[in-house]
Amino acid sequence: MKTRKITLTEHDLVDALRQKKKIGAEALYDMYSASLFGVINRIIQHEELSEDILQETFVKIWNSFPLFDSSKGRLFTWMVNIARNLAIDKVRSKDFKNTAKNQDIENTVNLIDERQNTALNPETLGVKELVGKLKPEQKSILDLVYFRGYTHVEAAEELDIPLGTVKTRLRSAIITLRSFFN
Amino acid sequence: MEDIKTYIESGILELYVLGDLPENEMREVEAMAAQYPDVKSELSAIEAAVEGYARSHAIDPSEKLKIKVLQALDFDEDDSFEPVVNAKPIREVPKIVPLKDNNFYRYSFAASLLLLLISWIALFVLYSRLQNSKEQIANLLTSNQQFSNRVNYLDKQLKESSTSLSILKNPDFKMIRLQGTKNAPSASMIVAFNPRKSEVLIDFAALKMPATDQTHQYQLWALVDGKPVDLGVFDSATDSLGMKRMKAIERAQAFAVTLEPRGGSASPTMEQMIAMGAI
Repeated sequence: MKTRKITLTEHDLVDALRQKKKIGAEALYDMYSASLFGVINRIIQHEELSEDILQETFVKIWNSFPLFDSSKGRLFTWMVNIARNLAIDKVRSKDFKNTAKNQDIENTVNLIDERQNTALNPETLGVKELVGKLKPEQKSILDLVYFRGYTHVEAAEELDIPLGTVKTRLRSAIITLRSFFN
Repeated sequence: MEDIKTYIESGILELYVLGDLPENEMREVEAMAAQYPDVKSELSAIEAAVEGYARSHAIDPSEKLKIKVLQALDFDEDDSFEPVVNAKPIREVPKIVPLKDNNFYRYSFAASLLLLLISWIALFVLYSRLQNSKEQIANLLTSNQQFSNRVNYLDKQLKESSTSLSILKNPDFKMIRLQGTKNAPSASMIVAFNPRKSEVLIDFAALKMPATDQTHQYQLWALVDGKPVDLGVFDSATDSLGMKRMKAIERAQAFAVTLEPRGGSASPTMEQMIAMGAI
């Protein structure tokens, strides 16, 4: 039997985290671990290392929470950027490159996508539908930047397209997402 | 506001949300968002969309990780959490309703206790009043009994007196005084004799005879032509004021009383003659 997951409104969660309350820590984990882990895992593509980074991410969120300014944007945006930065740093570190050689990247990607389509929370039921709406060139740029930790400059080089096109495609990809989520 | 539109459409806001901007450009975006509501709302919409995208790709980490993560956070063990503003509507519902209930039950309980106390006092007062009433009833019954005894006694005396009176007033009766013999010089008594109806009665009101013991009684005799005839026995000790009817006799010349063994004798013991009187 899984324990009950705690959910708070974003406002209450922010209060609880500022007061360093236990319920804040638990709600933070219950509400965001899967989403953050999804992002981290796609960048790192290594289960155990991803969990290490997720833990590091939560510690950093917890300790640097006074720096979060809710007037500047959503809590998740702030947290996911911490997670992405830690994950990208990890991917670019020397010891990671040694570890990662042992893993077949393509297999991991397939594994992740299989899992995501079967075992995830109800919010993900529309993923296939969403992916169908995104044009392939939109999705590849979005995923490179968001899930692989490329900068848009790196993505332009990788895909061999102009920087302006990268920005335009990113924007149109996100506009598609907005029609889906907002 | 053409500039703002161009700014929004440049794609810089998307890069900001994706965390793909250098520090100085991030500050610029934040300044723009603070200044222009359109930028701010555009930014919010992008954030929500990207968060949705991330959520749709969520993967649950292994179960054990939660414990590890929570152990790494130095949270306040105190579970009480008071959200500052937003939680008001959520908290008001569970807070106020039980509060009312609590008050209701508290007052009910207090009222019950008070009622119980009042009941006890009332019960005690009523009980002592009941005891008083019972005592009074007992006293009244006793005095009523005494009174009715007294009435019965007086009634009996009245009857006896009126009987005596009717006899004394009746001219057919002869009152014969019996005087004490040398055996009892101070003794005396009166016998009422009605020859027409052969009635003989002793007037106890006038009876003055020495006390007898348990084994002896007085016996009344009539002397008829020189022979004693038994008229019955009687006791000296009596609380009666009335008349005692003796055996009937038509005629007699004298009456005499002797002391005889209890129950009487067939013939008088002459040496024990106590009183005598002739007609």
